[in-house]
Amino acid sequence: MNQTQWQTLLNVIQGERVDPIPTAFIIDCPWLPNWHGARIIDYFTDQQLWLESNLSAIREFPETMFLPGFWSEFGMCTEPSAFGARCNFPENDFPHAHRVIRTTDDIDELEIPNPETDGLLPFMLNRLKRAQPAIEKAGHSIRFAVARGPLNIASFLMGSTEFITMMMMTPDKAHELMRKVTDFLKSWLDLQRKTFPTIDGIFLLDDIIGFMGEPEFREFGLPYFQELYSAPVSVKFLHNDAPCRVCAPILPEMGVNLFNMGFEVSLAELQELTQHKVTLMGNLPPRDVLAAASPEEVGAQTRAILDSLPDTRRILMSCGGGVPPGVSSENLRAFIQTVQGYKR
Amino acid sequence: MNPIIDHISLCIERGKVDIRSPYPPDLKGQPGADEWARDALEQGLSPESILSACNTGMERVGAKFGRNEVFVPELLMAAKAMNAVMAHLKPHFQAGTVKEKGTFVLGTVAGDLHDIGKNLVSMVVAGNGWKVVDLGVDVKPSKFIDAIRQHPGCIVGLSALLTTTMANMAKTVQEIKGQLPEVKVLVGGAPLNQKHADDMGADGYAPDPQGAVAFLNKAA
Repeated sequence: MNQTQWQTLLNVIQGERVDPIPTAFIIDCPWLPNWHGARIIDYFTDQQLWLESNLSAIREFPETMFLPGFWSEFGMCTEPSAFGARCNFPENDFPHAHRVIRTTDDIDELEIPNPETDGLLPFMLNRLKRAQPAIEKAGHSIRFAVARGPLNIASFLMGSTEFITMMMMTPDKAHELMRKVTDFLKSWLDLQRKTFPTIDGIFLLDDIIGFMGEPEFREFGLPYFQELYSAPVSVKFLHNDAPCRVCAPILPEMGVNLFNMGFEVSLAELQELTQHKVTLMGNLPPRDVLAAASPEEVGAQTRAILDSLPDTRRILMSCGGGVPPGVSSENLRAFIQTVQGYKR
Repeated sequence: MNPIIDHISLCIERGKVDIRSPYPPDLKGQPGADEWARDALEQGLSPESILSACNTGMERVGAKFGRNEVFVPELLMAAKAMNAVMAHLKPHFQAGTVKEKGTFVLGTVAGDLHDIGKNLVSMVVAGNGWKVVDLGVDVKPSKFIDAIRQHPGCIVGLSALLTTTMANMAKTVQEIKGQLPEVKVLVGGAPLNQKHADDMGADGYAPDPQGAVAFLNKAA
């Protein structure tokens, strides 16, 4: 993000009225490499291709924010790889990691990774370091420390069914795993912040939150998220595009001030649920509308969302979730132009 | 009705697996689905009546889930409690005392490692009297087709959680239908709806485990 975009984001989060309402998108693999005409395996392998893909996107759509911006990632494998997970990288498909915890006893033996040396993390960080001069030459900066959230990582390490069952059957073990994952995440996020002093935001992605009821989330999620979001940064960003009615009222308590959600709950309802304290980034249906509809339909549905908002402060117009595969430039442009030209 | 049947239904509704299970806290130390199912059989209650108690419990918890009164953890515990009952009923299925309704081949499609939905459906469908062949996660179309050929007359269930893997689901449906057009395919998962299922050429869409059971029972 460039300085103007970053300042706009801060202004929106502080509740200032910004005209026009800003637009923002989470872009990553698989949309970005496919949009750039690259294979996913090349996007992950080729430093220059990764950089060019990101630069192309910001040049093509200079009027929108891409969050987190220049996301150095290896899909779902990024953090699990540091715990020793076997990772699959199909040529042009999304990578995935296999579980490393077979029984609850394995949790005792699980070592907390060193983010400076373990798994794919040094590659992720080094890619960003090497790209930093080109990113800054383009007028942008590295703004976010990024990681999958603790519930998400715990589920990857163990299997989501097994992890959730463990919460109910052996809660002490679930806490032991969450403690280790959270300690790792703190050191990983700290390392990113230490490496890039321009970072002033934390971005966590965790859709396991969406499967939990409030009592379970308060016990097994909230304290760990609070620790992570207590870092001294300005933007505390959460992505959860699974159900969010349970977690939405708790977001301020978690420390979250920017939230990207799915599209099952309207922005107007979410403003109420979050007591108007959290900036909402959403929520056009990503696949059925942003990817599959005509530009005219994208415009019409975007206007309908804008019309439904009683208050346009603390809103970043986006889709509900990250940009899905297959979204065309025309549809992104239709979305952005509709928001920029919107008048009540 | 025999009070043991009520106990079984309640244990499933509340997710009380066995006497050792600390969940739910208010039933800690009390017998669970495992013990009540064993007692029921020892007292001569029919496997069918025990199976019916399972369904009652699952219907109740499924209804609570639909009203957002309970969430996935509670549903998983209910399914786990039902599995404890099914372990006692398995010999009766194997001996033919209780007839299975059919075979359901199930898996999460290629590229998707999420298994919550698939596992819930697997447990609930099994508890409803179906033989379930669970192929696991990240299942390629060829593996589904091999399994279908090994289980003639089966119905197939495809699960996906990620928007990104829905494309693989569509490919899997097309490959199955291309080679085995008579096979009924049911799809489900968080990013899907009926329109997606129709567009893919699937025979059915289930928004939840009870929906899967309803589809299967109708298809059978």
